[in-house]
Amino acid sequence: MTVVPAQQTGGGGGSSGLYDVLELVLDRGLVIDAFVRVSLVGIEILKIDVRVVVASVDTYLRFAEACNRLDLEAGPRKDPGLPDLVGEMTESGARGKSKGALSGAAETISDAFKQARDEGGSERETSSRPRARKAAPPRRKEEQE
Amino acid sequence: MSTYVYGITAATHPSLPEGTGGVGDPPREVRILKEGGLAAVVSDAPEGLRPKRRELLAHQNVLSEVGADGCVLPMRFGSIAPDDKAVTGVLAERAEHYAERLGALDGRVEYNVKATHVEEAVLHHVMAQNPEIRALAESNRQAGGGTYETKIRLGEMVAAAVKDKEAEDATTLERALEPAADAVSVGPESTGWLANVSFLVKREAADDFLEAVERARGDMPHLEVRLNGPLPPYSFVEPGPAEPAGTAAGGADAGAG
Repeated sequence: MTVVPAQQTGGGGGSSGLYDVLELVLDRGLVIDAFVRVSLVGIEILKIDVRVVVASVDTYLRFAEACNRLDLEAGPRKDPGLPDLVGEMTESGARGKSKGALSGAAETISDAFKQARDEGGSERETSSRPRARKAAPPRRKEEQE
Repeated sequence: MSTYVYGITAATHPSLPEGTGGVGDPPREVRILKEGGLAAVVSDAPEGLRPKRRELLAHQNVLSEVGADGCVLPMRFGSIAPDDKAVTGVLAERAEHYAERLGALDGRVEYNVKATHVEEAVLHHVMAQNPEIRALAESNRQAGGGTYETKIRLGEMVAAAVKDKEAEDATTLERALEPAADAVSVGPESTGWLANVSFLVKREAADDFLEAVERARGDMPHLEVRLNGPLPPYSFVEPGPAEPAGTAAGGADAGAG
């Protein structure tokens, strides 16, 4: 079960929740035109990148393979419940398993972060790499900082 | 010395986090600037501030502290005023507007909900509901995987069906949670998640909202629903639709001013 982060008060720099909240901190909130904003080079790129994927040959092939592997006999019947599967996925916390083309955003965000960190924010290296999946879940990377 | 602004709150806020560590390395001390009935939560702006993880965290932590005991209008990350006077100037100039927003958001917090499909589960759904896809998958399988063309065709059909399902599930999820919230703000669409929606919830109704989320999780086990909150009301600071993201892309540098 996905954990609801406790109120994030205090200086407890836990990164859980940060990834999901990032987009709010960066993209929403009050803007006052009399103030300047820190340059978000690299972060701006992420907004563009995050919308790619789905309609690509890679995705199609991956879906086709996934369908070939599905157990069709068990499939339709088993479909509505799936408690085992869901429990397993969330318990292990392995978000990586469940996404692929359905969510390239995680990597893109952490890549953009790394990018911003590495200063060379203008490199578009991370764009259009829908299959660039790392073994480690994205949070891991953030935690290294 | 330019001034980093975290948020705007009422001067009567019971526990402003004066002295807390803010952005920068070493962390700049949080200060409070009062003007009329309003207070701005600020610190000195470090030179060359960048949107790094620790800075974002610092911004979020300061706002969480302010938000824990009262209403705050959170600034978007990275807002820098030329000096303290410019901040109090803005507070004075737009006092009425900010007071109105603080009143409207008082006692309310934001919960952000993001959902993704559990891929295998959604593929089962798609196959179950679509005989054509099932037939093509079956014939591919019998042909030892199928040709490149038939794989692409199958993949295209599946991708389209998954997309439809995403839209359908996003609507269902939003409708399921909406009744437990005061206001809803739909975030930018992306392929990272099928739903990215923020809900403004009264503090005392938070339990009802959390229950609604749990129910939705139970009703839609093929979704992974991620919940974050309570948060300062990032998505509800402006009454109208949020400004287009482009307005922030001026590339203004932290070093300026």
